[in-house]
Amino acid sequence: MKKISVEHLARVEGSGGISATIDGKVVTNVKFVVNEGPRLVERLTLGKTPEEDVNIVPRICAICTISHKYAILRAMENALSVKVSSKVSLLRELMHMGEMIESHSLHIYYLALPDYVGFPSAIAMASKFDLEVRIALEMKEFGNHIMKTASGRYIHGENPVIGGFGKFPSDEELAWIKSRAIQFMPFVMKTVRLFCELDYPDCPEEDTVYACCNPDKNTYGFVGDEILLSTGKTIKKEDYKNLTNEFVVSHSYAKRSLYKGKPYSVGALARVNNLGDRLKGEARKMYQRYFNRRWKRNPLFNNAAQALELLYAFERIPSIVDKMLKLSDPPLVTYTKKDGRGTGIVEAPRGLLIHSYEISGGLVSYTDIITPTAQNAEDIERYCLIAAQKFLYRGEEDKIRDRMELVVRAYDPCISCSAHMAEVRNAPPEDWKVRLAKLKERNLPIFIGVGERDRSDDAVGIELALKLKKHGVKDVWLESEVREREVPWNKASHRPLVFLDAVDFREKSGKVILLPLHYIFSDSALSHRLLPFISNGMSYERLKNSFVLGIQPESIEEGRKISSPVRQALLKVLDQIIN
Amino acid sequence: MTKNNNNKLKIGIYELTGCAGDALLILDCEKELVDIFQAADIQSFLMAKSDNIDGELDIALVEGSVSTEKEKKEILDIRKRAKTVVAIGICACFGGIQAAFLDEKEWEANFKEVYGNIKMKHTKPVQSKPIDEYIKVDYYLPGCPIDKEQFLSTLNRILRGNPPELYRFSVCVECKWNENDCLLNKDIPCLGPITRAGCGSICINHNLPCVGCWGPVEEANIASEFQLLREKGFDHDFIKKKMANFSGTGMADFFGKLKGEKG
Repeated sequence: MKKISVEHLARVEGSGGISATIDGKVVTNVKFVVNEGPRLVERLTLGKTPEEDVNIVPRICAICTISHKYAILRAMENALSVKVSSKVSLLRELMHMGEMIESHSLHIYYLALPDYVGFPSAIAMASKFDLEVRIALEMKEFGNHIMKTASGRYIHGENPVIGGFGKFPSDEELAWIKSRAIQFMPFVMKTVRLFCELDYPDCPEEDTVYACCNPDKNTYGFVGDEILLSTGKTIKKEDYKNLTNEFVVSHSYAKRSLYKGKPYSVGALARVNNLGDRLKGEARKMYQRYFNRRWKRNPLFNNAAQALELLYAFERIPSIVDKMLKLSDPPLVTYTKKDGRGTGIVEAPRGLLIHSYEISGGLVSYTDIITPTAQNAEDIERYCLIAAQKFLYRGEEDKIRDRMELVVRAYDPCISCSAHMAEVRNAPPEDWKVRLAKLKERNLPIFIGVGERDRSDDAVGIELALKLKKHGVKDVWLESEVREREVPWNKASHRPLVFLDAVDFREKSGKVILLPLHYIFSDSALSHRLLPFISNGMSYERLKNSFVLGIQPESIEEGRKISSPVRQALLKVLDQIIN
Repeated sequence: MTKNNNNKLKIGIYELTGCAGDALLILDCEKELVDIFQAADIQSFLMAKSDNIDGELDIALVEGSVSTEKEKKEILDIRKRAKTVVAIGICACFGGIQAAFLDEKEWEANFKEVYGNIKMKHTKPVQSKPIDEYIKVDYYLPGCPIDKEQFLSTLNRILRGNPPELYRFSVCVECKWNENDCLLNKDIPCLGPITRAGCGSICINHNLPCVGCWGPVEEANIASEFQLLREKGFDHDFIKKKMANFSGTGMADFFGKLKGEKG
């Protein structure tokens, strides 16, 4: 028994990693890397029949195989105008619940929990949580059992097909599933309490946009025909590209997504945030008891959200079975259509999964598949960066690695492996002069002077800007000017934007730094004025090409005098910009 | 086979490019997993544990196809370290779905379509191939994913120094054991006759045709199946694509001959 160390059962599909690069006081780069080789699955589907693609596509992932199967079936049936009867929908929902139970229980107990209760592994954890570890494994097996009953196999079952199922499970098999689900309820309730009461650290905590399927009839659920955003906006499934905007990055074979130029999150936390007030029964009571504002800002609460969803699934199963037992097995729905376009969206355990196909002359001519982890990748990097920068700022560099792993794990990514997941690299420190020269080489920078003139060294940004103007440097703005007019930089995101400001980065006064704008956070002194610039209408592209040239102040007490080291620094910077 | 100090054989389980379904299935052997970990010294199993050692091995179980330069090196290294290499799952045995592009140019064009002209910094991609394109494989355990019973019996036999006893017949045999009606008689395109058994004819049990996900059976009469489906009115390209869906590389020889006959 001692030999099984399932401690890093961190999901799981192929190899992935997260790395942060540190340059002095600044985290300059966070990368969520997917090393999984390219399979070109979307291309493989072309020229084949819809039925063949229903066989092939779920092979993208063994862990979310049911969700992929469900998504392609919904898309194909949408394209071919196939309407399935309610018993088919119910069995599909049941198999999907099986996957949720299997995936969530494995993740929260075996992957996430050891971190929070101070054990290196689930096996080590068994000394204190023996019962939990054992029943959680049974719960996972129960999820597997449902998947096998409905789809034909543990993994890659072929029973679900366009128009229905090859064969329906017997009434006895269904009744067994129902009774087993009811047996689990006390443990499920315990699970929810356990995971909702965990002490989730408050770093990283930052707003994001959440996206999930919007189930019909104002219910909670894992499928829908439109996407619901936490902003309240809905997007029709056909218009999913308005959300996803996929692109490729050179450090990963997994594609990326940004909504309106900003990262967004999908997954259990997104669903509970967006749909939580639609929960019923015990799940509703638990939601009302535990949900709070922190869930909206902290990705670590995904673990609590998954526990809540387990309760939802276990409460839902008996009513699915009851409905199914009243219905007779419908035959496969056949179709004659040979052309069409269709999109299907479902919630995989780890978030919104989108499949879109076009069929011409009976063969698939276009395929687009967007997986949850591809959508989460940008937000994973962003939250890791926030956490890393905060720890670095507090002088707790040793905590960065663990916290980044915690964040990545909370997302329950499907293409990663937590063994050697986090890597902290120290880059050789780069001088601000070198950086500035590089920026100038890239394109003509736009400068914005920021600060308050009557708070001694805080005036340095404004002073510097005024001096630059005097020397005839073009495109120099004062903070006050920017507020009065339309922001001058939005149409020129290729040009670096450099804020000039006094920044307390705990160095010797007069020390100069040049760093990306998004490394400045609300808890670093003097940076609060920069926040409106970051949040107001700044696109992600713009943000990535924006910087702060900061000078360490000696004092920001009231007064009109700039201290001598800061003044000297000002002159150095001025000289550097002009020449 | 030599045994190490604590008298247990050293095993490494490796995942190359694929869906990780075979490794996941090994994990799904929840109850037997304890026995496996007790009977053997699991040196490396990235999905299950973190303290992995890359040293000498008695048995390497390899899942997935070779799809990057890095994986090429990895598989050569595994071969060097392991006395016995077992290919597990369709991707390692026959290339899997990602090996359906038989032509390298076709693969290159498709790669460009998906990733554009972006240069990958972390590792160079190559056309997906089964592992025996690069190394000698001692045993093949096919499946998509592998079957639990077959996996356990295979591992058991290898652990005891015996060669595994895999089914060397087609899905049709299992299908008869399960007393199913033949779908080909109903003009449904079923690949059972040329597909390796071991799945328990699961699709046909569910009234659905075999899709060939376990790869071709040894000495399969592919030409005859091809002819049969042609006679039933299926199009040449349709049959070819269908046969290549899960094991393009395994079918390449036959398709080569087919081309020759045509020309």
